[in-house]
Order: sequence, then structure tokens, then C-alpha cells
Amino acid sequence: MKSKKLTVKKKQTRITKPADASAVVYIVGEAPMVEEYALLCSGRGYRVLFHCPQMNSGKMPFESKAIQRQSRPPVNTSFALELTNVDLEQKRRNLELLDKVLPATTAIVSSSVTVSATEQASWIKHTYRLVGCGALPTLSGAPLIEIAPTVFSPAETVRIVQTFFRSVGKEIELVQDRIGLVFPRILCQMVNEAAFALQEEIASPQDLDTAMTIGARFPAGPIAWAEKVGLRQVQAVLQALWKDLGDERMRGAPLLRQMALSSSWWKHSQPSSEERHSR
Amino acid sequence: MVKHLGIVGAGAMGAGMAHVAALAGIEVAFYDINGTILRQALERIKTNLMREVAAGTVTQENAAAALERIHARTRLIELNSSEIVLECAIEDIRLKKDLFKHLEADTKPSTILASTTSTLSITAIASATRHPEKVVGLHFIGPIRTARLIEIVRGEETNEETVRRCVEFARFIGNPTVVTGDSPGFLVDRLSQPFFDEPLRIIGEKIADAGQIDRIMKAVGGFPQGPFETMDEAGLDSILATREALFSNFAGEPRFRPHPILKHKVTAGATGRKAGQGFFKYPDEKS
Repeated sequence: MKSKKLTVKKKQTRITKPADASAVVYIVGEAPMVEEYALLCSGRGYRVLFHCPQMNSGKMPFESKAIQRQSRPPVNTSFALELTNVDLEQKRRNLELLDKVLPATTAIVSSSVTVSATEQASWIKHTYRLVGCGALPTLSGAPLIEIAPTVFSPAETVRIVQTFFRSVGKEIELVQDRIGLVFPRILCQMVNEAAFALQEEIASPQDLDTAMTIGARFPAGPIAWAEKVGLRQVQAVLQALWKDLGDERMRGAPLLRQMALSSSWWKHSQPSSEERHSR
Repeated sequence: MVKHLGIVGAGAMGAGMAHVAALAGIEVAFYDINGTILRQALERIKTNLMREVAAGTVTQENAAAALERIHARTRLIELNSSEIVLECAIEDIRLKKDLFKHLEADTKPSTILASTTSTLSITAIASATRHPEKVVGLHFIGPIRTARLIEIVRGEETNEETVRRCVEFARFIGNPTVVTGDSPGFLVDRLSQPFFDEPLRIIGEKIADAGQIDRIMKAVGGFPQGPFETMDEAGLDSILATREALFSNFAGEPRFRPHPILKHKVTAGATGRKAGQGFFKYPDEKS
């Protein structure tokens, strides 16, 4: 079995040549991340085929000759990305289809911030081909991505994944396969604490962000970050952490849960203290 | 605009505040019960002003004028012309309550009484006064002379006029502000807590090591420093003290429970860069 995997992985090294027009990356998942990664991969010379189950009709603004919609993964896919964090039933269906249709030689990188990569691998037949990654909306532009090999992942799969991400301008950081990984877990906890503070009405959303950007020199405030990443994504990570660890600390702020359900936030509508106390 | 400021306490914070306010053109009544400490503080202010003159950031004339505006006082009654009195005493609730009671008696009814406390409740301090509506917290983030931000802490009874005048004062001395309720850790310390505690839990669970987490936070999150570098710079003992105060003031809320790794590091003397070792080693720094 091991030698077979080695052989098939060697064949896959062709995807390391971004200029090769035959290299197809298939991306399936939630809208903002699918778009981000489609643009990233096509920008590096890959032909991208994508599928957003939640947006199944109409042309997406980012579609082009190099980025096309296709609901069923093509058999000539060189590399597959599964980017679903919220709807885990859909994620499972996506992975099962990828595993069924794609050649056994094709690696799959799947977002593993709300369900571990090992659990995802257990859903498919070719367990060795799946590796987890830290994917949240707006993080695709970062020069680094967290990669979480599963208990099934051979070193060859990890090497292929590393080669792929290098070809799109990203270094990888190998971390253990746990829900939330590193950055998504820390970020979501920061947003959660801000949500508790808002719930207690101790400050305006703008003042929370000002406190952290000026006072703590954070690159963005927790409210702005939540708006960028999306409340449903944050809530999904927190809920998964709470379920996985059973730790009271991971309990999401009730206000955050409500806002995630309504998919809305304050949008900085409340005046900051500077505005309120200006004459 | 504030023209007369009273400062209580001639420690580093009080001296820094007198320096900043006097340079901004405010007359400062600078109080300490101990005349020797007061004289030493004035000498420090003079030295610091001269350094700024040498560095070219302040003119000789402005430095001299600023020194003229600082008036040493050893009796609280001498702060009676102040529009705001800024208390910079040690973090002792009994001492502060006693001080505020006397300050209220010795100053004008319109004088705002502000505490620079970072851990005590403004509502608790204000409870010693008859007019808690004019008691407020001014928490300076960063060294006082180069503070990045002032958290204006509204006690349960603090009124809008008090907050408005404090915002105006902060702007006048060149600081941005945020207004927060009287909640433990106010905003910056409280909201920074997951940035320190969650990475500690992640290394505790062996998901990634400190170096990896710092690299990820910088490269993925865009943070100028990772959490472990930040803790090493700030001093792990100081970080632990803040975490323990938060945990205690939130009555044992699990989100604020300090991680054992932090305690172990401090107990072992690995308190960060200043000790030559924290989460990372600093062989050249060890004293």
C-alpha cells in the first residue's frame, strides 16, 4: 500500500508547474473562500474549476476563461481544495464526491477549522490523500497557511501539498490536527471576548476596535475582524471547539450566536466615544 | 479646556503626567505627602525635559516654561483650584477611597476626581465620595509620557459631563480615547486576554510550539509581534499578575483562568527577556 502511494504521489508532482495549462485545481466549498482561492490559483497559472453548492445559479463575478464553474469534479483534476466550515453535512457530501470521482492519485486539502482532518479522512475511502488546512475567509492572501496532516497522511502527501502551496506563493506551517488549528482558534476567541464585552454594554463596537488597534497595536479590532471573516464562520469555529473540548471557556457569547443567526453585526453603526463627546 | 490640573502622587506615573500636562500648557499642582519624593520627582522631570531639549523634540524655552508650570504641593487643600485632579497613588483600594474622600472635601464642587488605577473598580473608589458622578478612571495605555491611548472608565454613577470633560482633556494632551464601563481589565487588558491565554493552551495541547504560533500570528494575522515574543518583552510576571487580577475580579470566570505554563515559567524565574529566558532564550540579556 505504501509503495503504491509513493508511486502515485510522484506522478502528482506535475502540478508544481503552474505554467502547465493542463494542471487543473478543483475548488469546492463556501463562497468567499472559493472565490479567494480560485483567484489565487488562477493568478499563478492554474486552470480552476469550482463549485459553490450554496450559490448554484447565475454567473459569479470572478468567473473567467481560467475560472469556470463545474458541479462535478473533473477526472483530470491535479489538486482539490474543499473549503466548507459551516455546513458540515455538505462538506461530507463534497468530500465523498471528490473521493469517488477523482483519481486515487489526487491530493485533497480540506479546511479543518470546524472538524478535524482525521475525522474528514475517515469519511472517505482513500484516507491517505486528505490533509487539513486553516482556511477562513480573507486569509488566502497571507504568505503562510497552517497544514494539519491526519493520522493517515503519509509524508508524500504532505510534500505534494507543500509543493502546491509554494507554487501559489505560500509557505506552510505543519501543526497538529485539532479543531481550530492555531490562528482561527485564537482569532475566534478574541472575537468571542469582544462579543461578551458588547453584550455587557461596556463599550461601543468602535471603541472596542480602537482600544485594540491603538492600545494593543493589533492589526485590526475584533469587530472589524468578525465582519471580515463572517460571524457564521466565527460561531462555527467556537461551537466546534466547545463540542470537541467540552471546555466552558469555549462557550460562545449568546449575543454572538444571535448575530450569527441573523448574519448581521453592528456595522459600526453606534457612535464612538470620540463622536459622542465631540462638540 | 483644562487650565489647572492637580496630580496626587509623585511616583513615575505622577511625574510623567506632570511632565506631559505642563508641556501642553496646563498649570500643574503636583502633590505628594512626602516632600523629599516630590523634590526627587521634580528633578526627574527636569532631567527628562533636558533630554528632550537635547534630542531636539522640545525647545529650551518650552521646557523652561513647562517647569515653571509645575508647582510642588504637600497639602491637599493646595489642589483646590484644579479642574481635574488625577490620582496616581499605589493600587490600594483603602488608600484610594480615603484619598478621594479627602480630595472631595478639599476641592471645588465642580472638580473632576480621576483615578489612574489599572485594576481597581472606579465604582468602589467613588463610593467613598458624596458625588460619585464626578469620579472617573483615566487608564493610560503605555508609558505615560508616550501613552498610545487613554481608557476613560465610567463608574456606575459617573455622569456624561464628567466623561465629556475627560475626553476633552485627553485630546488636549494629545491622546486618543475610548470610553468603557467599569468592568475588570477595562478594554485593552480584557480583550488582549485570548491573545495570550489561547496560545498558552495551544502549546499545552502540543498543537504547535511557541515559535510556530508567533510565526503564524505574524504571517496569517498580520500582528507585529507574536504572543510569546510579546509576553517575553512585557515580562511574564507582569502578564501573570494581570491575568490573576482579571480572574479574581471576574470571580473565577473560566475564560480568565491563568494557564499553569505561565505560572511555572514565573516560578522558575524565566520571566522573559529581562531574565535572559522566557518562552525563548536571550543569552545576551541575562543580568
